Amino acid sequence: MNLNPVVYGVLFIFLAPVFGGLLAGIDRITSARMQSRVGPPLLQPFYDLGKLLQKDARQVNPIAEPLLIGHLGLMAATGAMLLGGTDLIFVAFVFALAALFLVLAAGSVNSPYSFAGAERELIVVLASEPFFILMLAAICKVTGESSYGGVLGSAVMVAPKLPGVLLAFMFVATIKLRKSPFDISTSHHAHQELVSGLTSDMSGRLLGYVEMAHWYESAILAAFVVLFFNWSVPLGLVAFAIAYGAEVLVDNSTSRAKWQLVLRSTWAVTLLLVGGNVLALFLIK
Amino acid sequence: MSSLIVFLVVFPLVVGGLLLGVRNGKLRNVIVVLAGLVVAGASVVTAVTFGNGNAIFFGLPNGLTLGQGLLAAEIAIGLFVVVVSIQHRRILAPILVLSQVAISVYLELSGKMPELDPGRLFWFDRLAMVMVLIIGIVGTLICIHSLGYMRDYHRSSPLIKGRRTVFFCLLFVFLGAMFGLVVSNYLPLMLIFWEMTTLCSFLLIGYTRTKETIGYAFNALNMNMLGGLGFSIAILLLVNGNQSLDLATLTSGPASAALLPALALLCLAGLTKAAQMPFSSWLLGAMYAPSPTSALLHSSTMVKAGVFLLLRLSPAIAGSNLGTLVAFVGMLTFLFVSLVGVTEQNTKKVLAYSTIGSLGLIVGCAGLGSPELIWVGVMIIIFHAVAKGLLFLVVGTIENRLYSKDMENFDTLLSRLPLVSALALTGIAGMFIAPFGVVVAKWTAIRAFLEVPGWQGAALLVIMAFGSSLTIFYWGKLLIKVLSMRSVSEYELSVEKRITRFEWLAEITLAVGVIGVAAFIGVISEQVVGPQALATFKGASQSFLHVEPVMLATMIVAMLFLPLLALWVSRQKHFDMSDFYAAGRPVTSTGVMGAALGGARTVTLRNYYLEGVVNGGLVFRAGTLVCGVLLAALLTVGMVAR
Repeated sequence: MNLNPVVYGVLFIFLAPVFGGLLAGIDRITSARMQSRVGPPLLQPFYDLGKLLQKDARQVNPIAEPLLIGHLGLMAATGAMLLGGTDLIFVAFVFALAALFLVLAAGSVNSPYSFAGAERELIVVLASEPFFILMLAAICKVTGESSYGGVLGSAVMVAPKLPGVLLAFMFVATIKLRKSPFDISTSHHAHQELVSGLTSDMSGRLLGYVEMAHWYESAILAAFVVLFFNWSVPLGLVAFAIAYGAEVLVDNSTSRAKWQLVLRSTWAVTLLLVGGNVLALFLIK
Repeated sequence: MSSLIVFLVVFPLVVGGLLLGVRNGKLRNVIVVLAGLVVAGASVVTAVTFGNGNAIFFGLPNGLTLGQGLLAAEIAIGLFVVVVSIQHRRILAPILVLSQVAISVYLELSGKMPELDPGRLFWFDRLAMVMVLIIGIVGTLICIHSLGYMRDYHRSSPLIKGRRTVFFCLLFVFLGAMFGLVVSNYLPLMLIFWEMTTLCSFLLIGYTRTKETIGYAFNALNMNMLGGLGFSIAILLLVNGNQSLDLATLTSGPASAALLPALALLCLAGLTKAAQMPFSSWLLGAMYAPSPTSALLHSSTMVKAGVFLLLRLSPAIAGSNLGTLVAFVGMLTFLFVSLVGVTEQNTKKVLAYSTIGSLGLIVGCAGLGSPELIWVGVMIIIFHAVAKGLLFLVVGTIENRLYSKDMENFDTLLSRLPLVSALALTGIAGMFIAPFGVVVAKWTAIRAFLEVPGWQGAALLVIMAFGSSLTIFYWGKLLIKVLSMRSVSEYELSVEKRITRFEWLAEITLAVGVIGVAAFIGVISEQVVGPQALATFKGASQSFLHVEPVMLATMIVAMLFLPLLALWVSRQKHFDMSDFYAAGRPVTSTGVMGAALGGARTVTLRNYYLEGVVNGGLVFRAGTLVCGVLLAALLTVGMVAR
């Protein structure tokens, strides 16, 4: 199909939530099976979202909601720009900006729980952002292309040239998918020390926005994985599915790490695996 | 043209002299505002007269000559430094300055000075035009801002002896010197203006005359004088080697090996002035000067003189060992200071680290040198001058209202000082959120680094990725503090009403400027910065800004979002701010929480400073060491081998 990339961008805005929501449903069923439970129906995340959007939101200040709408909008824009053919490195900056808006929404609340969640989320952005910039820069370097469509159409296979980056992606994706042991800023389980971290004071439709933004984020990560397997999109999606399964397994078998460990280990992985891979790329060419 | 330039240099000097005798506050206000308008107007007229033409060279109007003026100025500066140093019993500064004077006298007596072409004293091109506009407009606004700021500054610190006559005199003398510096083509002439700005900076840092600030002032003086000495020796080497002292001639293309030693020393001068490591400490000490000084000298203009010189030298040093070393000093400085910045709590120092980092990026671009990178460098100069100038002024205003520069004391700023918050958010958005600010520059730089061959390209990418992520962290923390709310009393709300008109005028105009520069980035790129980059490297015509409509829309919205939100939010009243989650304990809307064993505690929310992971002091020393080694290499290897 040789469609205008803008079409893909627009399609992303509508289809990514479906993808993300289904992924969340599969995630919940898989997690339940790992814990010997039956788990909710596949479409449960959509029912949940519907209910959240209908409920009254209990708001403690007037800025959280606009900031969350900004978060959702920027996250959708990131994906739309990515598939719509915008320069990949520019996308990395918008991706970070989108994450920052969630931090600001949570930080605007005076609750110590929400604030601590916001600060930790900021650390998470600090930990993962160097990776995403380097990853996209490396993909541009390997293929000599600068847009999503360009990379998919490139004759150069990305993954074989960037094994270190792909490995590091598995590591960093844990952070972005908010999976244990790197779910330091939030939690779906109320028994942990942060209660629910950055979403402590978000309810009703506000929580709905966060949920939807996260679905977009999952779809963006899937799109990133496809970039590595640029010669076959289905293969890329299979790779993402395998990676996601591994993340769920890790999530269910580890406990939350301290932020110091998250920051140190992510930087170390980025520096060694990605830095080393990029260095090899520049030297061998 | 030449009369206009002479006017731009001389007029502020005259006004400065005049202000020294004006003790009446009202009269001073009138003089500063009027003179400021004249300076700003003259800078705009200069830019308009120049149009978009190619570089032009000219001398003094009406057959005036420099005569022995340069030598006399050099000796006067020397004597002044010696006298002040004796007063304060300092030894290093007089040695440095007397060495410079000795070189100048020697050159004059030796009769080796090449024949001066009187028609090539000044060099005006688009880069000079950008600088003249920044100095004229941003500089004027900062002077006007100072009228209000200094009044409150002395009210809030009654122990400091007011010397406002001196303060305003220095600001205007500085403007004159700065205009001279950016249009100079004849190196000895540039050196005089260079030293004048050093001196202004020294005197303004030591304004309060406490033991502490005098120490910082001398630190700044020593480092900048060291750079000045490098500049002098460079001139000496050029003269001895029968080379031209004409900057444009020297930098018309890749330098021959014979020129390298002099160019390396000029780079040293640029690096000191731009406060790159290992010379960064002087700029941090300079943060103890009153905030308008930080805005004018230590972010918008004077430190830009350093990168201005390096951008000028770029065509000569690009591709040589010297250029690569300069670039790595800049880029590593960017990385190290960004890392230190995340551990810093003093807002002015955070801004200082951010300034040094932005300058480091420009130095990196100048050292590597290509049309794209020159474009990036000049773009950062413009955005940084407007946005960071605004931020320093806003922090100054906040400091006079809240009596604190500590970021942690800025929380719930949106409730307490809503309009000031909107201005601060505009500045921060201009610096990093957005759009067309430094982000576009960084993006273009990464694109350019992808083309740098060998390990250097990989290293530059890694430095850039980590450095720019670190800046997100400290800006994010500042944003969190500004964008939080609680109930405020009528008294607290009245605080904002006491901000002077001068401050509002300057800050609002600059905020409009930030938005304007972002909105017109296309025009600025096409008409000014792009042609400048091409003229510097004689590249083929190309477009540097690859903006699509989607990007344009997204970024403009993202940039205006936060300031507009702040303005809107400050009018919303119907929220119960006591409703936040506190593990079930009772809370009030001002953030007081029922304690576990009875009684009440105020909720204090402190940012993370990455204690235990990043040791700011250690990182700073490590950076100083690493860049010091690179500097040593620059002054040895860089001088010898191309």
